[in-house]
Amino acid sequence: MAWITKPSGTMAVEQRSEPYLTEDMKNSIRETYLPRYETSKGALLPTLHKLQHTYGWIPRQALMEAADFLDLKPADVIDTASFYEEFWLKPKGEHVIAVCRSIACEFCDHKAITDRCREKLGIEVGETTDDGKFTLVELECLGACGGAPVALVDEKLHENLSPDEIDRAIDEARSH
Amino acid sequence: MTAYTPKMPGPVLTARIPTYPWADPKDRHIVSYDEYTRTGGYEGLRKALGMSRDDIIEEVKGSQLRGRGGAGFPCGLKWTFLPKVEPGTDPGPRYLAINADESEPGTFKDRLLMDFDPHLLLEGIAIACYACHLQRAFIYIRGEYHHQAMVLEQAIKEAYEAKVFGPQGLLDGTETNAGGTFAVECHVHRGAGAYICGEETALLESLEGKRGWPRVKPPFPAVKGLFGRPTIINNVETLAHLPSIIENGHQWFCGQGTESSIGGPPSFGSKLMGVSGHVNRPGVYECDLGIPLKVLVEDHCQGMRNGKKFKGAIAGGVSTGVLGPDEFDAPMDFDIGRKYNVLGLGTACPTIFEEDTDMVGVARNIARFFKHESCGQCTPCREGSGWLFQLLSRIEKGDARTKDLDLVLEIATSMGAMPGTTICGLADGNNWAVRTIVNKYREEFEARVRPSFVPVTMSVGAAANG
Ligand SMILES: Cc1cc2nc3c(=O)[nH]c(=O)nc-3n(C[C@H](O)[C@H](O)[C@H](O)COP(=O)(O)O)c2cc1C
Ligand code: SF4
Ligand code: FES
Repeated sequence: MAWITKPSGTMAVEQRSEPYLTEDMKNSIRETYLPRYETSKGALLPTLHKLQHTYGWIPRQALMEAADFLDLKPADVIDTASFYEEFWLKPKGEHVIAVCRSIACEFCDHKAITDRCREKLGIEVGETTDDGKFTLVELECLGACGGAPVALVDEKLHENLSPDEIDRAIDEARSH
Repeated sequence: MTAYTPKMPGPVLTARIPTYPWADPKDRHIVSYDEYTRTGGYEGLRKALGMSRDDIIEEVKGSQLRGRGGAGFPCGLKWTFLPKVEPGTDPGPRYLAINADESEPGTFKDRLLMDFDPHLLLEGIAIACYACHLQRAFIYIRGEYHHQAMVLEQAIKEAYEAKVFGPQGLLDGTETNAGGTFAVECHVHRGAGAYICGEETALLESLEGKRGWPRVKPPFPAVKGLFGRPTIINNVETLAHLPSIIENGHQWFCGQGTESSIGGPPSFGSKLMGVSGHVNRPGVYECDLGIPLKVLVEDHCQGMRNGKKFKGAIAGGVSTGVLGPDEFDAPMDFDIGRKYNVLGLGTACPTIFEEDTDMVGVARNIARFFKHESCGQCTPCREGSGWLFQLLSRIEKGDARTKDLDLVLEIATSMGAMPGTTICGLADGNNWAVRTIVNKYREEFEARVRPSFVPVTMSVGAAANG
């Protein structure tokens, strides 16, 4: 959550000449999203989703570009972007394994699923593998408690998981 | 066990979604616009457009349909809080926000409707928009529901192509009873991983592109909601009930579910109940409100896993708190809060515990959830949720003393919108969850803490006399 502050003083802000928010993206936001909302800020979440989906994270420069495009203050954009867990403001792995840790999944031994991921990938929860392929996280209830234990591998939900199945799902993601 | 006879004529919300005991879930598939209309879909909307707005609202009020999102607020009554629109005048933009955030641990019922029968929701949306004079609907869906968002987008596309939505007016410009046509736009708005955005005013903030911080009420959203305009917020399942209520009338709806046994408002209609935890066949079942939890578990879920004994259950999402070992017979209706000392029915999605469950661990897991999801605006919630998690973790590890247990109860009891210390109900959920677990399983907690050290001072000499 946003009030859990993260150190930013030492953070390098990298710049590149090529914009993250491309003309194509802008056009699609103009056509599809801006007309839906009474304010341009209404289109901020859809814009951030687009950036997140395209780059796997949202660099500082992209936030500035979004602010510029939607005619908002950069601070307002950062305020919103930093609040939501799904927006990554620092790079993450190419694939994200997100194991549910809420109550129904804990009952159905989510720990065995997380442990298999930790062993297989050689990382702890919250970390990314050295080759930048995988990030492992634990999330709260994914709304699939009847199929506990569950995990999201990128955007795909896997239910009734066994350690071997998450193992295979990781291999499958790696081969893509 | 007393015999239980359902009152539902058959599946209602799950009529097109094969569900036990009527049909086998392996036959589930996405119901397309064509299949939906072929099987009687959009007839409720057709009928509604021939009715006056007041008559629709009266019908919904008559059904006493209570919100399925957690609070159980009467749907028809909520609608009457909107400012009146004089016939023939333009009231300016008014909104419907559909709450599809579904992030309460244990809850996975709205997902079933969005997975397989999206047009049922869309028809409900169209009826609500016409009845309440709302021109634009936003389905606020949680970010993790990638597949469901795609299913909805596709269904909305079909609905636009079939001219249900769009500028020409509902159902290809059908003349409404209110005179002329009425046009409704409908969009999906994706959240991004924040439970708090299910709280209705946080949801509006998030729709406006801001962080999801609940608003201080009043003003209530019906008067000043999205972009400062009159707005109705309803849960997915609440809206999905509208087509059948309009088609069959409120009396039909009131024939299902149950009256209150304690002189309160009734719990009519069917309800989606997602059962998880230690049962043989977890899943979503559609039942009459009032079905005893034990019947739900034994008949629908094929009993407790591994033949173990029932130890307790979360009533309907972790915020509601727990039912104890001797409360297995509790009827799943809106009386449950007053009768069994839980916060309420919540989402009616119970999580079941077997006899070996460590209740200290349960409390710790739930406390961590609330600590993680507190939006941080109110000190009692932001700090209290962290303290509760720390204290409960300490108790779990065996490092705590009796006074820590008292402190847990003191902190929990003091936080929430009901004690009046916070803006929204998230803290009440934390309060009820922790408090009911500690109170109903007190011995387990006491066995894990060591007695507090009580300093005994002895005075000698002159001071002893004074
Ligand atoms: C912290 C919190 C989270 C909530 N999450 C949800 C949710 O995910 N889905 C939902 O429908 N209602 C949720 N609610 C309840 C809504 O605020 C609101 O009461 C409901 O959407 C109204 O719709 P209904 O009257 O049709 O039930 C939540 C409430 C609180 C306090
Ligand atoms: S009670 Fe908690 S979640 Fe609700 S507004 Fe206050 S801090 Fe935020
Ligand atoms: S508790 Fe894991 S999906 Fe709900």
